Amino acid sequence: MKRAGLAGVFLIAILVPFFLNQYWLHVAIISLFYVMMASSWNLIAGYTGQVSFAHAAFAGVGAYTSGMLALYGGVHPALGIIAGTLLAGVLGLGLGGLCIRMGGIYLSLTTLGFSEILRIIITNEEQWTRGTMGLQIPGVFSVYSKTHYYFLFLAVTLAFLVLMRRLLNSDTGLAFRAVLNDELAASTSGIDTVRVRLMAFTSSSAMAGLAGGLYGHYLMLITPDIPSLGQMFLVLAMAVIGGMGSFAGPIIGAIALEFLSEYIRIYGEYHLLLFGLVALVIARFAPSGMVGLWEKIWRRR
Amino acid sequence: MKPVLEGRDVSRSFGGLMALHRVSFQLFEGEIVGLIGPNGSGKTTLFNAITGVFPPQEGEILLDGKPISRLKPFQICRMGIGRTFQIVRPFLKMTCLENVLVGIVGKDEKGTSREERVEQALLELEFVGLGGQSHRLAGSLTLLQKKMLELARALATRPRVLLLDEVLAGLNPSEILQALHMIEAIRVKRKVTIFWVEHVMGAIMTACQRIIVLDQGRKIAEGPPDEVRSNPRVIEAYLGGADA
Repeated sequence: MKRAGLAGVFLIAILVPFFLNQYWLHVAIISLFYVMMASSWNLIAGYTGQVSFAHAAFAGVGAYTSGMLALYGGVHPALGIIAGTLLAGVLGLGLGGLCIRMGGIYLSLTTLGFSEILRIIITNEEQWTRGTMGLQIPGVFSVYSKTHYYFLFLAVTLAFLVLMRRLLNSDTGLAFRAVLNDELAASTSGIDTVRVRLMAFTSSSAMAGLAGGLYGHYLMLITPDIPSLGQMFLVLAMAVIGGMGSFAGPIIGAIALEFLSEYIRIYGEYHLLLFGLVALVIARFAPSGMVGLWEKIWRRR
Repeated sequence: MKPVLEGRDVSRSFGGLMALHRVSFQLFEGEIVGLIGPNGSGKTTLFNAITGVFPPQEGEILLDGKPISRLKPFQICRMGIGRTFQIVRPFLKMTCLENVLVGIVGKDEKGTSREERVEQALLELEFVGLGGQSHRLAGSLTLLQKKMLELARALATRPRVLLLDEVLAGLNPSEILQALHMIEAIRVKRKVTIFWVEHVMGAIMTACQRIIVLDQGRKIAEGPPDEVRSNPRVIEAYLGGADA
């Protein structure tokens, strides 16, 4: 039953480019980027309970590292994206090492600060980043094709999700959930809670770097909007509305919200306001999100 | 004979409050020692000091002669000290099996496969009488079952010393009897030395060979149950003296 469902979803995902026009294919590609962002953010926020606001910033690290390497160094995007992923991971390790022991609100504030610092640096170092004008960078393929990009994003997203799933099902994933459930009980059961949280933070940051690198080479124009807080809150809303702490939640939330935001685009930035409000209501009344609601309805039948 | 667990002049204060004042104790292999005292006398604080949750500010705690008071809780657990909590703390949103697996993973024994670990976890559940419950969420268990699950999780870390913090509190008489059998089984079959805080006096007095009494952070008495029961300082601490 579950297998059949997954196979069905996979089949639809493969057939998508043959049914959507160029515009909606673009939306599908972007939603895959958000699937990666929301899922990896869920890894720290949903599974180990650390609300980081630096996730979009790490995507920015990935995008600018890979973009600038390609533009100024002639490095192939495939290598550049790997470099961006690694740098995001290293920065995540450093930032995590600084603030993970503090935990809670302090972690949130420190990551918020980091995010803003990074955005300001990118905006102001105009000679390298061209600031808010955006930096034009080469794409992954020599011939531009949305279908190619779609399959690239799909392949990376699937690999990404399989990897995450395996991580969560491993001893490390078990330790993640133990720390989320009860940090004191976990530590007196032999779990090194600081190391576990640092691992989650580092791997999640690296994943954001990977998503950001790909995203940049798809758009071929990177701007300080990628590491912005607006972007961060969109990812947060996707994870919260979809269902934090569940595997499917952020995936569903990302796709649903990205497609929805295309319909309400005419209202400009107000769609963020709407998502913020919906996320608030969901967090208050259905903390396990759409996935949790669905399970509740299913069980009642 | 050398003690398994030893505390030397352990002190801990919170702000201006002296929660533990130069408390010394010794536990020998295979012993079951009771720790009693009025509310706020420092029993749980002593357990927190031993497990590294709130390490002692002065004094030394030794396990098998090795100092452990500078170590982190997870290191102390891996050295061989397990504990349960006064207010039960199983991982509520995880299954019974996963709860016990955390203890096994926490002990961090290299080279065991996932299957072997699951098998070991199931044996621990069986041991504490939660055999058929492995896939139930811990949050849906009864209080007695939660306490047993916590015991299984602690046993999964293969402790040499187990600290029990009021395992009998909130249980009805027949459950108390079950829990007592379990504790005795842990001591005898698993060869675990037990340090046990309890308010259910009848139970602890019959089960323990030796009792340590704390009052206002100080050790005021130690000895066999009968001796402790008739000790005037203990009676005063519990019933209140002339100056109280």
